[in-house]
Amino acid sequence: MEQTVKNPADGAPDYNFAYLDEQTKRMIRRALLKAVAIPGYQVPFAGREMPMPYGWGTGGVQVTAAVIGPNDTLKVIDQGADDTTNAVSIRQFFAKTAQVATTEKTAEASIIQTRHRIPEKELREDQVLVYQVPIPEPLRFLEPRETETRKMHALEEYGLMHVKLYEDIARHGHIATTYAYPVMVDDRYVMDPSPTPKFDNPKMNDMAALQLFGAGREKRIYALPPYTKVKSLDFEDHPFEVQTWEDECGMCGARDSYLDEVILDDQGNRMFVCSDTDYCAERQDAGHRGPQHHDQPLGTADRGKAAE
Amino acid sequence: MTLQSQTSDLLPGFDHAAFDSNAVFRALLDAMSRPGRIYDLPVNVAAPDGLNEAATAALLAMADMDTTVWLAPSCATKSACDHLKFHCGCPISTDVKQADFAVARISDDLSFITDLAVGNAEYPDQSATLILMVDEISDRPSMTLSGPGIKDTHSLAIKDLPASFHAWRAENHHLFPCGVDVIFASPTQIAALSRTTRIEVN
Repeated sequence: MEQTVKNPADGAPDYNFAYLDEQTKRMIRRALLKAVAIPGYQVPFAGREMPMPYGWGTGGVQVTAAVIGPNDTLKVIDQGADDTTNAVSIRQFFAKTAQVATTEKTAEASIIQTRHRIPEKELREDQVLVYQVPIPEPLRFLEPRETETRKMHALEEYGLMHVKLYEDIARHGHIATTYAYPVMVDDRYVMDPSPTPKFDNPKMNDMAALQLFGAGREKRIYALPPYTKVKSLDFEDHPFEVQTWEDECGMCGARDSYLDEVILDDQGNRMFVCSDTDYCAERQDAGHRGPQHHDQPLGTADRGKAAE
Repeated sequence: MTLQSQTSDLLPGFDHAAFDSNAVFRALLDAMSRPGRIYDLPVNVAAPDGLNEAATAALLAMADMDTTVWLAPSCATKSACDHLKFHCGCPISTDVKQADFAVARISDDLSFITDLAVGNAEYPDQSATLILMVDEISDRPSMTLSGPGIKDTHSLAIKDLPASFHAWRAENHHLFPCGVDVIFASPTQIAALSRTTRIEVN
């Protein structure tokens, strides 16, 4: 057998468009149509081995591969950032196997694959958001048996989830769940929003863009059609709240975005910076400045110093 | 008998399997996630006798050896069956209960729709999708739709849609999360009704 060595820069002509074979894509596409017809319900699908390990977004990659067409522009983020290993490798995977355009700009993307964040910029009707999901079943840590969780969803038996949130309150005085915070979809299915911070939960409600969720290891697909009611579970006397920060972004000064804490040294110095790199860069381009931005005058960058 | 004589009457399928099936799927995905909004068929396909272009394209994009297709008697012509068997390789059943995709014309006797699979409480996805071939889809306000995928309301009009369809649809909606999803296919356009969609007939 002749072995051909090809320049990786030439794309991947030995693979089908977007890596997966057509029959696999059809199977995923049928699951996706059911998923949008039953918002929040987890549709089983015959997840394939992908050329990356489980936990690296194999579910999201399979959903993206089934959805992406030659005219799409793909953006991939990992914890909000376009330039982390997971995001870069998935972006390059589709640039190579589907020869699609890629971008780091939220506004320019037609498909955004995400791990654990929703972009700060409001998404539009002509965009699709694809989530990488590690554990799709919100009830899994309460009930390990799939046969039982299936029944609980069928019977709308979500009391256990409320007990879990109540136990948070009993133990901590507030609901201590900060990520993968369970949501109720269209008053019917309790859904795991994937490990996004609860800061992002309100963005899922009534979103103009289609939201698709893929769990590769667990082989489940679920979806939120646009303009679907998504409510974070809570209690009348302990209403749902998102995280807030006393600090602003050190680079762009944003006070409305999700901030990551960055430890600067072992003297206790730290800074906060937007987790959404595109949002932060866009604000900096527009002239917004945070106290730790490199073109700020020396000596003014004193915020966030614990030593003072 | 040679292969030539078996296939000489066959019409071509998609020009480019990957791109065309993707384009048709995206139209179906948009239609199902925004019920009642009307999408143009993005590709040109040849339709065999018994099917129209949009229904043919939907089946070429979605059906294969894993899906059973049921054709209403008026659609189940030899050329339609040959076309689907050759291009999709899908089993074609005469038992409507087995159907993953059921195809009919709007002028057909629609009494079969109550026999379509609706899934069960634990697996509501194990349900049929009805592809209904129609002459004309428009956004005239003969139906007002609301529900997931719809910002306020969408208007939809399907030419010659019988009252019995609405009666069935209302019952179907109450079965949620079980139920049948409907794809309306005119020769050039598609629109969908998800099982979640609430319909007000004006």
